[in-house]
Amino acid sequence: MARQFKRHDRSDIFIHWFNAACWLLLLITGIGLISNPAIDPLGSGYPEAMRSLVGGGANLLAIHEVIGFVWILGFIWYLAVNARGAGFFLKEVFMVSPARDMAWMLKKMVLMTLGPKPLKMIGVNPELPKQGFYNMGQKAFAQASVAGGVVIAFTGVIMFLSDKTFGAEATGIVSWAVTLHFIAVGVVFAGLLVHIYMAAISPEERPGFRSMFTGHVPENYARHHHGLWYEKVRSAPENDG
Amino acid sequence: MARKLAMVIDASKCIDCKGCMVSCKVANGVPEEHWRNWIKPTEPQFGPGRRPSIRFQPGGCMHCDKPTCVEACPTGATFKDKETGEVVIDKDLCIGCGNCIPACPYDARYRNPVSRKADKCNYCPERRAAGLEPACVDTCPTKARVFGDINDPDSEASRLLRENKPRVQVVVNEATNTKPNMYYIGSPGDAAWPRKAVVPSSMVAMKEAAPLVKGLVGLTGLGVLAMLGRQLFAGDSGDSHEEDRHG
Repeated sequence: MARQFKRHDRSDIFIHWFNAACWLLLLITGIGLISNPAIDPLGSGYPEAMRSLVGGGANLLAIHEVIGFVWILGFIWYLAVNARGAGFFLKEVFMVSPARDMAWMLKKMVLMTLGPKPLKMIGVNPELPKQGFYNMGQKAFAQASVAGGVVIAFTGVIMFLSDKTFGAEATGIVSWAVTLHFIAVGVVFAGLLVHIYMAAISPEERPGFRSMFTGHVPENYARHHHGLWYEKVRSAPENDG
Repeated sequence: MARKLAMVIDASKCIDCKGCMVSCKVANGVPEEHWRNWIKPTEPQFGPGRRPSIRFQPGGCMHCDKPTCVEACPTGATFKDKETGEVVIDKDLCIGCGNCIPACPYDARYRNPVSRKADKCNYCPERRAAGLEPACVDTCPTKARVFGDINDPDSEASRLLRENKPRVQVVVNEATNTKPNMYYIGSPGDAAWPRKAVVPSSMVAMKEAAPLVKGLVGLTGLGVLAMLGRQLFAGDSGDSHEEDRHG
């Protein structure tokens, strides 16, 4: 068997799928909590159907709040058991080398949709610059997820506290929390569509997808998709690589 | 036909006794400093050679046909009941974000400091369920306030509207006419006091962001479809992955 390189801890794998499950549930319940013809993402039939499914808007709100707190607790647990992994993730995700990563991003977008010909036509080498532990596409989505996640959690807690402890003078904050919660979810969801395609549907990242279950990627994949990372870890001892 | 609960008020009968305000407060446990209804007096006119005059205008939530408060609510926690025509607050869904409060040109809403949610006149559903009139109507000693279904031709409210048709008026701010369902017969005095309905800037931003968010999601969706199309029909991903196969 080809040499394997470790990419994810078990806690990393857990938090990824935990986050995915919470996002799915929070998204389907959350969209059902919006009901205003000027906003409704899926039309007014969706919130009506979701509310009647769970026996009313109040129940839907309660379900959304419970899952929201479970989601936040999950991340607190993750930070407690794998702070080092979280720190590594944040460092890798937010460290961008502008020239290299922007070139990668622009070329990759053309390659994935139009192929190499347009790049060759304008005299650009279609070869992608080497990437580190994460490529720029993964970084961009992770940055949006982290920043968006913080905004979503923070505004969510504000909305939850609105009718628990806040007085009338805080309604300006609560109302802006509603708006920011909605926008942040929208932005992360837009990225999520690309993330799901790239990871689960596109054949290129299949080894990366598998690694989100096994924790490991084969050497070949590491070399070609994460060249800079591969160069760092290739010389490391086998078990730890 | 759906019902349309409304109030028909003969303002000329109002003696400003405030009985409606007190009984409402008691019936609904309205906290101190807040009121679900009101009586608005005009400035008394004293002048040489004329008798002093003053007008009283009883009011409350007007259960409008174009409720700006409902338009300002992001969750539908306040809504227009299609069966009764009431503007209802679902207290269990409302989180007290406060959007609806400046959106009412009559200031008929307030944020209840106990429940921390929006509150306003609901025509006393508990009393109606027991076969009673809303507290303010029941209390009014001169019967200035009449409550009923104005889609039912046999109701007292309908009869009053019909018989006084030429002089029925509503109190509105023309800039944001919410089509109120509180009808005045007999001069209500000042009919121009309601202010412009104000939707909070945060809610305006949410409404303006909605098409942008949908556009962004649509755009990335199209990008995904383009990639999927290339994957399915171009066969070869055509980028640097040839080395994968060799390597």
